[in-house]
Order: sequence, then C-alpha cells, then structure tokens
Amino acid sequence: MLQELEGTNSMNLNWSFVLLAGILEVFWVSGLKHATNTFEWGITIGAIAVSFFLLTLASKKLPIGTLYAVFAGIGTAGTVLAEMLVFGEPFNLMKIVLIGTLLCGVIGLKVLNSKEEKAVSEFEAQEVVV
Amino acid sequence: MIYWFALIVAGVFEVIGVMNVKRLADKQKNALVFMIVFFGISFLLLSYAMKEIPMGMAYAIWTGIGTVGSALMGMYLFGEPRSWTRLTCIAVILASAVGLKLIA
Repeated sequence: MLQELEGTNSMNLNWSFVLLAGILEVFWVSGLKHATNTFEWGITIGAIAVSFFLLTLASKKLPIGTLYAVFAGIGTAGTVLAEMLVFGEPFNLMKIVLIGTLLCGVIGLKVLNSKEEKAVSEFEAQEVVV
Repeated sequence: MIYWFALIVAGVFEVIGVMNVKRLADKQKNALVFMIVFFGISFLLLSYAMKEIPMGMAYAIWTGIGTVGSALMGMYLFGEPRSWTRLTCIAVILASAVGLKLIA
C-alpha cells in the first residue's frame, strides 16, 4: 500500500492526509479527555496511530514546518468546535473568529505550497529540455 | 519553576518527535522508535506541567514551541522555503491556535 501511495504525485492527496490527520486528532484529544472504557481507549489509541501514520505519509511531499502547523491548527480548531457542539461548552464569538483566522492561515499555506510546487516542476521541466 | 522547565522540555521533545515523523518518511534508522519515545515523554512532561500551570496556558505554550520549533527545524535542517508569506501564514495559525487554547 505504501508503494502505491508513493507513486501518486497528487499534492491534493497529501493535503487530504494532513486534514484527515487533524480531524483524527480531534477524536483522540476528545478520547484522552472523555474516554471511560476499554473500547473508547482502544479507539483513542487507534486514532493516534492512524493520525501519525497519515502525517508520515504527507511529510514525504509537504514541508514538515507547514505540515505540523496545519495539523496542530486543525486539531485545535476542531477540538474547540467539538467541545462546543458535542460536549456542551459555552458558545463564544471570539472562538469562532479565531477558528476563522486559523483556517485563513491553513488555506494560505495550501495556496502557497501549490505555487511553489508549480514553480519547482516548471523549473525541472526546463532542466530536462536543457 | 520545575514545572516550567518540564513544559519547555516537553516542547523541545515534541519538536524532536516531529523531526522523526520526517525521518520516518525518509526511511531513516529507528525513526519510529524515536518518534514514539519523544512524543510519549513530551506528553508525560506536559501533563506533569499541568499540575501547576493552568491547562490552557500550558497547552498553548506547548503548541507554540512545537509549531515555531517545527517551522525553524524544517528551514534549517531540511531546507524548506523561507518566504515571508509562508512564515506569515504559520504565524497566523500559531496566533489563532494559542488564542483558542488560552480562552478555551
């Protein structure tokens, strides 16, 4: 399976790995806080393992600095949302604003990364011609 | 004082854990073991620090060290882009995440 995934060059695939890793982070952070029985702890540990496995896959192609900022950011925003929506924490406008600015940063990194990738592949294409 | 020291070491170990995510992707020796050990110790030290330092603040500082440290590590160790636009985006994510952890 690893070999197959290495063969795919799609950057979007790598970005979806990071997003999925961040979403799983929400589950395991909630699990660490709220898990009470063996089954819930099992799911929590499994989510931690899969989430780091996805990070490793994505770090083959994406800069690790970008990757970790996005992973930690999505995890934080998602956890705050989950606490409000699922676990009944009080709703707070400031939280929503900060989640918004955080997503702007994530989208910015994604756009920049696509541009850098494009520049690099164009550069490599020219090298081949020379 | 010892709690703050534990928190800072937790942040540094987190960055070393992140470094081993990259090393694992590059198929370097023992990366998986290092990743588990460093993240594991980092979490233990974080929860120890939370005995004395308020949870939101401890978590915010830990995330801050991890994000800034990983960005710097990427640039100095793995030659990742240093454009100011990229650093601005990372700073925006960092500021929002720290803010969320402080008020949550």
